[in-house]
Amino acid sequence: MGADVHRGSAGRRSRPEADLVALVAFALVAACNLPRDAAGTLDRVRGGTMRVGFAVDTPWVADSGGEAGGVEGRIVNGLARALGARIEWTHGHESELLNALHDRELDLVVGGLTADSPWRAKVAFTRPYHVDSGVVLRSPRAKARQEKHVLALPPGENGWLVHVERFLRDERALLASALEKKTGTAR
Amino acid sequence: MSGRPFVYPPEQAQAREKMRRVSWISVALLLLAGVVLAFTVGSSQAMKTAWLSDVLTAIPPASLIFALRYELREPSERYPFGYLRSLSVAFLVTAAVLTVVGLYLLYDSGMKLVHGERPPIGTVVFFGRQIWAGWTMIGALAFSLAVGFTLGKLKQPLAEKLHSKPLMAEARMNRAEWMSEGAAILGIVLVGFGQWWGDAAAAAFISLEIIRDGWDNIRQVVADLMDESPTRLGEHELEGLPARGRAEVEKLPWVEDAGVRMREQGHAVAGVVFVVPRADGLGAAALTERLAETRDRVRALDWRLHDVVVAPVSALERDDPPRPAAD
Repeated sequence: MGADVHRGSAGRRSRPEADLVALVAFALVAACNLPRDAAGTLDRVRGGTMRVGFAVDTPWVADSGGEAGGVEGRIVNGLARALGARIEWTHGHESELLNALHDRELDLVVGGLTADSPWRAKVAFTRPYHVDSGVVLRSPRAKARQEKHVLALPPGENGWLVHVERFLRDERALLASALEKKTGTAR
Repeated sequence: MSGRPFVYPPEQAQAREKMRRVSWISVALLLLAGVVLAFTVGSSQAMKTAWLSDVLTAIPPASLIFALRYELREPSERYPFGYLRSLSVAFLVTAAVLTVVGLYLLYDSGMKLVHGERPPIGTVVFFGRQIWAGWTMIGALAFSLAVGFTLGKLKQPLAEKLHSKPLMAEARMNRAEWMSEGAAILGIVLVGFGQWWGDAAAAAFISLEIIRDGWDNIRQVVADLMDESPTRLGEHELEGLPARGRAEVEKLPWVEDAGVRMREQGHAVAGVVFVVPRADGLGAAALTERLAETRDRVRALDWRLHDVVVAPVSALERDDPPRPAAD
């Protein structure tokens, strides 16, 4: 209803400024699918194969017969399902997996990683999907010891990074149920 | 004239007060821009470089404020020529910091390019919406760009009025900011399009700009240390002031020959005038009176002339300043 009133007053002949505004708006819309990957990971993974490395760190990552289980295992499965991707699992140690990730031989690594890991300089960590503040006993410095749980992606694959971070935020229900099962198994 | 502090004419004194205010505004705005950039910096090399260059450009106005506190102090036993050169000290600090940090940043971004380190730029939650962090970076850079542009515009007319080399250098540095911030924006956009090298390349370009600023400042400081003859504001060319001084003195009927040497001391100019009096059997009292009159004539040429010493000599050692070869 407010729009009608507005249209009445703004319905004049379009001026160069208006054209410029339209151009900027168009550029912004075109820019909406930014950022893109440097090596096209997202396009390759979508409907294709997702190469995932996992290092066991229960309850975050559990070994369930050559595949990752646990909280992060469930997240990865949910992500693959949403993308229609098949998962190619690689089991290994954190350092070898993260080095392979840095060289883009893997698309994603899970292993109970936290945001303060020194690996953050070599690979791309997602925003934390879960902040665990119950790890240490209550103390004045408890806040500094919060564990921010993250997933690791290859650096420079920013379209892929943004996609995974959006997934983590949009699928909070999936995360909540995964985290609930974790506390269930831990007790 | 040594022994008394330099006094600015009213118009320049007003400009100097304005300069102090603009310097405070500079420090505040540049630090604010630095804080805004720090919130968005992430793991982009170009952002890191732009942030550092913002914080660095707050150092020159800060050291200028500091220098202005000392500039007009009474000459003391320890510093009998006064504190006018405190402005050169401010310059020295700026030059050293800019050069060292510029070189470090160039090395840092060069290594990132060589090793092919790719910048990860993910999302941020901004007012409840999840957007690509690149957009907030570009916003922060645009703000910083506007700050630099405004400051440059404010400083240039003041620098011209005060014939202030440090302020002119700052104005140029601020104006050059838009190139740095523009380069950083371009770098982020390139990363957005999957061109990972854009980030480190933009950072390398910005560090070259910082080094250039540092180099310009070093040249200026070295020239000051070497007692360079006054130069045109913001240029390398020598000013005609010493030649005008000599012409003025040579007009006096009792002067046979004259030589003038000048050097800049901060905003002021100091000089020595050598005069060869005509042999007309003057008494000492009459001579000193004429010398004082000569000093006042020379000082009237320009408001910057402060510490002018007139020395009677029997013959000139040298042609000061050298007359053009055509004469």
